[in-house]
Amino acid sequence: MKRREFIVQSTIATSSLLIPGFMDKLSYAASLPVVKIEGESPYTITNKAIETLGGMGKIISKQDIVMIKPNIGWNRSVEQAATTNPEVIKALIEMALNAGAKKVIVMDNPCHKAEDTYKRSGIEEAAKKAGAEVRYTDENRLVTHNFKGESLKQWPVFKDFLEVDKVINVPILKHHGSAGLTIAMKNLYGILGGNRGKLHRDMGMGIADLAYGFKTHLTVVDAYRILKNNGPIGGRLSDVELKKTIIASTNILEADVVAISVFGLNPANFEFIQAAAEKNMGNTDLSKINLKSLKI
Amino acid sequence: MKTRSGKKIQRVRIIAQIFFTFLFFYLLLHSGYSRVESFNYTEYFFYFDPLLLVTNFLAIGKIIPLFLLSLIPLFLTIFLGRFFCGWVCPFGAINQFFSWIFRRSKKEKREVDKKLLKFKYLVLAAVLMAAVMGTHLVGWLDPFSLLTRSTATSVNPALNYIAHQTLKPGAGDTGIIAKGLKPAYNFAKKNILTNKQRVSSQPFVIGGILIFLLVMNLYKRRFFCNYLCPLGALYGLVSRVSLFNLKTNSNCISCSACSKNCTYNGSPYNDYMKSECMTCFNCTSDCPKDAIDVRIELPKKANRTPIDIGKRILIGSLVSGVAAAALPKIVIQNRSRLHGFTRPPGSIKEKEFLAKCIRCGQCMQACPTNFIQPALLEAGPEGIWTPILNAQTGYCEYECNKCTQVCPTKAIELLTLPGKKEFKIGTAVVDRSRCYTYADGYNCAVCEEHCPVPQKAIRFNEVERSNFKGKMVKVKRIYVVPELCIGCGICENVCPRGDAPGILNTAEEEAREFSYY
Repeated sequence: MKRREFIVQSTIATSSLLIPGFMDKLSYAASLPVVKIEGESPYTITNKAIETLGGMGKIISKQDIVMIKPNIGWNRSVEQAATTNPEVIKALIEMALNAGAKKVIVMDNPCHKAEDTYKRSGIEEAAKKAGAEVRYTDENRLVTHNFKGESLKQWPVFKDFLEVDKVINVPILKHHGSAGLTIAMKNLYGILGGNRGKLHRDMGMGIADLAYGFKTHLTVVDAYRILKNNGPIGGRLSDVELKKTIIASTNILEADVVAISVFGLNPANFEFIQAAAEKNMGNTDLSKINLKSLKI
Repeated sequence: MKTRSGKKIQRVRIIAQIFFTFLFFYLLLHSGYSRVESFNYTEYFFYFDPLLLVTNFLAIGKIIPLFLLSLIPLFLTIFLGRFFCGWVCPFGAINQFFSWIFRRSKKEKREVDKKLLKFKYLVLAAVLMAAVMGTHLVGWLDPFSLLTRSTATSVNPALNYIAHQTLKPGAGDTGIIAKGLKPAYNFAKKNILTNKQRVSSQPFVIGGILIFLLVMNLYKRRFFCNYLCPLGALYGLVSRVSLFNLKTNSNCISCSACSKNCTYNGSPYNDYMKSECMTCFNCTSDCPKDAIDVRIELPKKANRTPIDIGKRILIGSLVSGVAAAALPKIVIQNRSRLHGFTRPPGSIKEKEFLAKCIRCGQCMQACPTNFIQPALLEAGPEGIWTPILNAQTGYCEYECNKCTQVCPTKAIELLTLPGKKEFKIGTAVVDRSRCYTYADGYNCAVCEEHCPVPQKAIRFNEVERSNFKGKMVKVKRIYVVPELCIGCGICENVCPRGDAPGILNTAEEEAREFSYY
């Protein structure tokens, strides 16, 4: 760590103790760069992405309990690109454990039956092998969480996500009928219980409220295979496109903005991006984002 | 003193019963435990049920080849008597277990009740007569169907609930009990329990019948087997001519110890009835003098007190079989084109379905999402306990064809996975008076999101309309593409509307022919 960096960060750290809520706002502004890596192996580019970001040690402290939240929503295989690539999850678990995490938990609240989706996506097997705890949701563990949003005020959340020290959000980039695309912010629907369908009413604002009211510490977007059409469930291989890209960022909104550009669309056209921008969650202008692009 | 060889053979019998009972439940529960891969032996117990072979043949005029396996136990009965009831049948074993639990003082003597024993033959006559008339009633009392159905719709979900409630350590609970239970809970969760509690439309009816039958063992030993079981009656008829025989020899001191635990309350000493003897060897075990011989000999004509069914009563039961078959055939539903229920993918034409389905509930157990439920009167009186689909409790998992694999009689025909994906169970219909995108002017599209058809059978149009505040809003309006919809029901299942769904899974355009004639 350079001296200047040390001074800046320790100042932020001490001042954040004095002003409640200050750290949250500042962390959006003073976030690390957004990293975009292209390459052949999803495992290698995930490693490279975190390395370029500064290493997992920057995000995870020793003895942290870490929650990895992939998209395990659907009973689809990895080739159909409806769920996060298990290789990416594997790489993240290994890095988290190497960084000194006490425990890594992998969990999602899927749309299809959990036993099926965990298995078919390949995430259950990969995560267990890498040394993580794979957890199913348990409706008895729902607690009401205050999101303090405009559209999403209070909603039941699985306690598991609130009890951990760090949350790593690992969505897959894919098409979504009503939201346009589902990436990192939308992926957080998976921490919610209850009648989630009702949230589709005012989806753009709901997604922004969700990402604003629930803090994640790292976002890794799996854009290795992306689902171009008929998402979020897909099924046809002809709707899948190989992009061989991983995006990593500590800022969830900026990760989404970069991901939308990888998809080939304009971030400004998305309601949830606009809503998040209004909440000052980060830059939505691609040219203003500190983006590090690499091809390996 | 008890005889050693008699004790030994009784023990072997108990081990065999435990083995077959466990095998039965292992196969059954294996089908339903959410695993997507196929497991091809879940329904094999049914193939060893000769009663189903006969009734199926009578009802549909065809023999389902695998059911020919049931000739094996039938053939063995000629040599071994009703060994199937005493050694193999899992429901028999359960009844035996409960009779043993409920056994009263050792001196108690219960007498043979021939009038009641007769009843199961009448049940058999009625069931066969109904099958001749094309109505399949056998599943109501066939032991395998009864046990499978009860397990699938009542016992299994209930035990799942009990296990979750009792084994689960409370949040943050660090007591010794909680810690000790944790490994047991984790093991059960991994192997048997389902993450999501399964529900059933009739736990009280189906589970209640099971409990009633088990409790009746308090009144008579192996109540169901002796007095109700049509399969037992079939074996009883065959074993009348079997070579197996028990006889007392000169050691007998007339102590009546052999009647103490006899399954039908008889004994080789007094009132020995070949057709009722389940070859359980309790008597040889209980005999203090080694006075009971097992003989393999040609059956003699007057072979000890056969059950006299009586012509009048037999005719009466045949007539009631005819009536039981005819009345459901003339109900008003049979003329209606409209029916408010759908059946699992691969189901055949309604008339043949009713003739083939044995109401065993294998499909209900196998369905990973709890979509298949037993009918009460939705499918008419004849359709009681046949499988119908309930999109409120589940949906047809796109990547699954399990119910088509496990149906023993192929009332649900085997479909390949690609074949099932194209099988039209029904069609979804938007209820415009309820769907948010029509009635209230909200965006929703949860059904569109969940539609598993790759090209999407549910889509939306963006329209501008005024909402309930009179404000013009852009709404993504849902519509169904009927020729793409396969009727999987997930749209109705996930519809977030609170009172009744805004999209319904209906029988419209279902692939099978719907006709009672």
